[in-house]
Amino acid sequence: MNTWLVIVAAGLGSYLFRLGMIILTGRITMPPYLERASGLVVPAAFAALAAAGVAAACTGLGVTQAAAPLAAVAAAVIAVLRTGSSQAAILAGMPVLWVATALLSN
Amino acid sequence: MISLRADRRDVVAGARAMVPWLAGLVPFGLVIGVSAAQADIPALAGWLTGPLIYSGSAQAATIGMLDAGAAPAVVVASALIINIRLIFYSATVARHWQGTPWWWRLVASYLIVDPSVAVGLSGYRRLSRDRAHAYYLGGAVLLWVCWLAAIGVGATVGAGLPAALHLEFVMPLYLVGQTIPKLADPAQRRAIFAAAAAALLALAAPLQLGIALAIAVGVTAGLTAEVRR
Repeated sequence: MNTWLVIVAAGLGSYLFRLGMIILTGRITMPPYLERASGLVVPAAFAALAAAGVAAACTGLGVTQAAAPLAAVAAAVIAVLRTGSSQAAILAGMPVLWVATALLSN
Repeated sequence: MISLRADRRDVVAGARAMVPWLAGLVPFGLVIGVSAAQADIPALAGWLTGPLIYSGSAQAATIGMLDAGAAPAVVVASALIINIRLIFYSATVARHWQGTPWWWRLVASYLIVDPSVAVGLSGYRRLSRDRAHAYYLGGAVLLWVCWLAAIGVGATVGAGLPAALHLEFVMPLYLVGQTIPKLADPAQRRAIFAAAAAALLALAAPLQLGIALAIAVGVTAGLTAEVRR
């Protein structure tokens, strides 16, 4: 299965999820635990993808240089906590990444 | 009956109700576009996650995992696990769409995603069913257009910028930004920390199974927190 087929398969499956209960309405009921679980999937997925993304950015770098992405994440966390805005993560994190990468690569 | 001509004002009202959501979603679309441009996949394939999968979190996972070289079945399974919530949205709007024509159900259900359902339900609570259909469609179509445009702009801009900008790091930062406010809820906090820890511990897992595994660990951990409450 290549990239295109993966995206088509994921898209088709997602559409069936969307259409499923419209067709089956009244015929089946969803168990409550599954509904609770579905509310936790996106936070868990975001956390897992973020952790893997940061780890990937640090992979292959020396101990000193790996501090740049970690400093960017720290700046992002502080910025979001201080401002209460999720968008602040990129606005604070990327400049810190650029500056730290420039400083640490010298 | 579904008559959009008669309900043009409701279509516009639904679109207007979607505008506040766009402030948060357009940046996400841009980030997904940028990450698609940076990923080791064809640019068009990255953009196509928009119209085909049409769910930011599942698109981010699909692009990230394809870029990391994950096994195809694992990528599809992970995207579908993330999109399980769409079944619940589908169930929520289903009773409002009973008795509607097939074409409407096929089109309207394609547009089901977190913001469109939120805006749509606010219409079904206040308006007659026919008017609420137009209200839902107004919000959902505006979201769809803006989402695909944002991904397209992100992919175009992202492809033209130098590698020294490390734009591949925009997505992890965006996800960190989205995750921090969710830490206030005990169940979500537990799910987040468990998933992040599992993802790091499973970095070396074969077929890039780590993400799917980490989601399962996170959800299980979050559910145990809910049971204890």
